[in-house]
Amino acid sequence: MLELIDITKVYKGQKRAVDGLTLRLGPGLVGLLGPNGAGKSSLLRIAATVTRPTRGQVRFDGADAVARPAPLRRALGYLPQDFGVYPHLTGHEFLTYLAAVRGLSHRSARARVGELLDLVNLAHAAKRPLGGYSGGMLRRVGIAQALLADPRVIVVDEPTAGLDPEERVRFRNLLSDLSADRSVLLSTHIVSDVESVATRIVVMAAGRIRFDGDPGDLVRSVAGHVWELPVAPADLPGVQQRMPVTRQIRTGGHVRVRVLATQRPAPDAAPVAPDLADAYLAVTR
Amino acid sequence: MTAVVGLAVADFRERVRRPAYLVMLISAVGLGWLAVPPTDARWVVLDAGGYRGTYTSAYVGLVTALTSALWLTFVGFYLVRDAVARDVRTGVGQLLAASPLRTPVYLAGKFASNLLVLGSMAATLAGTALALQLLRGESRTVDLVGLLTPFVFLALPMLAVTAAAALLWDATPVLRSGFGNILWCFVWMVGAIGGQSASAPLGGIGVSQLAGTMPATSDSFGLGLMYVDTPLRTFDWPGLPLDAPFVAGRVALTLLAVAVALLPALWFHRFDIAARGPATAVSAGEPRTVYKGLPQTPAVATGSAVRLPFAELRVLLRGTPWWWWTGAALLALLGLASPVDPGSVLAVVWIWPVILWSRLGTRREAGAILAAYPGPRRRLLAEFAAGVLLAAGTAAPSAIRMAAEADLAGLAAWAAGALFIPALALALGTLTGAARTFQAVYTILWYMLINDVAAVDFMGALPSGGPPPALVAASALALLGIVFFFRTGRTFGGRGSVCWG
Repeated sequence: MLELIDITKVYKGQKRAVDGLTLRLGPGLVGLLGPNGAGKSSLLRIAATVTRPTRGQVRFDGADAVARPAPLRRALGYLPQDFGVYPHLTGHEFLTYLAAVRGLSHRSARARVGELLDLVNLAHAAKRPLGGYSGGMLRRVGIAQALLADPRVIVVDEPTAGLDPEERVRFRNLLSDLSADRSVLLSTHIVSDVESVATRIVVMAAGRIRFDGDPGDLVRSVAGHVWELPVAPADLPGVQQRMPVTRQIRTGGHVRVRVLATQRPAPDAAPVAPDLADAYLAVTR
Repeated sequence: MTAVVGLAVADFRERVRRPAYLVMLISAVGLGWLAVPPTDARWVVLDAGGYRGTYTSAYVGLVTALTSALWLTFVGFYLVRDAVARDVRTGVGQLLAASPLRTPVYLAGKFASNLLVLGSMAATLAGTALALQLLRGESRTVDLVGLLTPFVFLALPMLAVTAAAALLWDATPVLRSGFGNILWCFVWMVGAIGGQSASAPLGGIGVSQLAGTMPATSDSFGLGLMYVDTPLRTFDWPGLPLDAPFVAGRVALTLLAVAVALLPALWFHRFDIAARGPATAVSAGEPRTVYKGLPQTPAVATGSAVRLPFAELRVLLRGTPWWWWTGAALLALLGLASPVDPGSVLAVVWIWPVILWSRLGTRREAGAILAAYPGPRRRLLAEFAAGVLLAAGTAAPSAIRMAAEADLAGLAAWAAGALFIPALALALGTLTGAARTFQAVYTILWYMLINDVAAVDFMGALPSGGPPPALVAASALALLGIVFFFRTGRTFGGRGSVCWG
């Protein structure tokens, strides 16, 4: 459906944000993970026809979407990481305006705007100016606009930023439904956002793909390499220097740390089952 | 003092690292070139009774300093405005508000930053003046003290007043709107004309100090860009005379500017969101609802060309206060019932929506979302059409009367004006990204129009008649073409790297 082939993006000052990356998207949810500055947002802006790649091809249904972005834009729902709204418009008016921009019929726009406001739990605030919305509410307006035209390709950048836990769960359920017959590319640096819904994980670092595959394979790749051990607080800096610490919890007079190591790091270290966060850290380090 | 300097330097750095700053400096060089024209040029900015000074360091310093005092006070105001609004927009204000920084210190820092920006433009002018002195070749003697003295005593106090006024406008609720930008046009006009008077408070611009140093009386002295039939004769200007009352007046003017800059400390809200009214109040608790699945209504695209311009019009009009609608309604009544001919009524009617038109090309709040939407060209046309609808809507009574009177020439001028104004707004908004550019340019054009300058009568308001409507309409289309070209470079056709088309 959407192919990003050998994509490179070099910004002014020769900063190479994306470096020869290839990604092919079909139906399903691809969770794009990576640390800050990995190039995720640049890649998503390229996939969303907002930024032109320095080199490489973007193909949608086999056609060149860099030269002719219109077909992809008609089929695309994009939620940028940072976006603004018209603060004097109400939530309903803003979505209605965007529906007009998308060329939706009046009848279809009216019905879908109402349904989408319901979907993102904003029906109660539909007639209030967006200038009075909280950050999480605005993020949900962004999610709603991305779904206005019933897109075949959905690109969302840090979509859960500012959402409370309840809304995160709702959003994950929504993504799960959407990904049944659509391509969803979700970028985040929060592993739990994609842990339960992604059918495929892509880990990026320094503009390149470090892992691309099944989430289970990613987790299995660190099986036997994750340990838990108690550490005296004074010894913690030394442990952090010696090996990657994926978690630490202070209990009583000591700290229980979860570390990545190919061999048992200490006599009292116990092997534990890895999870996606462990695997992600192992790949990006 | 450390905080003031730190704030001023950081703010100054933020401004000078924008491409627009380079344009400002190039404009300053252009101003200098206007002020020190070639010896056979037919234009001058200072006419001392048919004379101009020989191009010595002191004289080129004088004319460029006066040019700064006259024009940088107008253009510079719009260039340095936005210092406080930028902190609101970027969120930096929230960080500053939570710091121990006191409001007067914040205002002093912003004032100093404004003055640094304007001062850097004046410094560019001074450098240009020196280069032009050597280029023109009437005097090769470089006298830096003579060159810079007019800048210190004539330009600097006026730039301080401008920097302070910009800050006062920024920090005062009514003035920070588009209305404030329009008001400054009139304040500046009064200041530029009245400031040349010998009886101006604190010496005004300071030109009265030149009396006795030039072969001109107060009647034959002219300041401003002027055309002359023959190149002016020359005389040797002795330099700016400095006496205690004059220097004291300049110091007092500068101190007054500082006081004006600090005055908003009495009411400045210090980025308190609640102080901006209920529109920004955060929501109360939300109802708990259950996820019920995806929307069932299919998204049917019709590509209707009618809905989008009206949607753009709604965005343009939303948030317009009640008093604007009242004024528009009164003007509509005036258009229908006034005994004055409908063309003349147009000049009154078409100043009213200037703030709304100025939003064209500058509304970029939803740009991050719209960048991935289809039909960018269609959107651009719809935005223009919304401006035309606004022009047509506000002046519809005049058109009705013209039609009733079978005034086809008036209708043609009306239609051309309705196309030209939004095209100008869209072009200036797109090119500069700031609503205040159109607000200032359009107000000056409008002021010239109501003062019977037929050359700028783009709406057929004057009995003497202006440019042919076809020419005005063609200008509108040319402006629209510029907008298309510019936006194509950034968003269509793939010439730029930011967006695709």
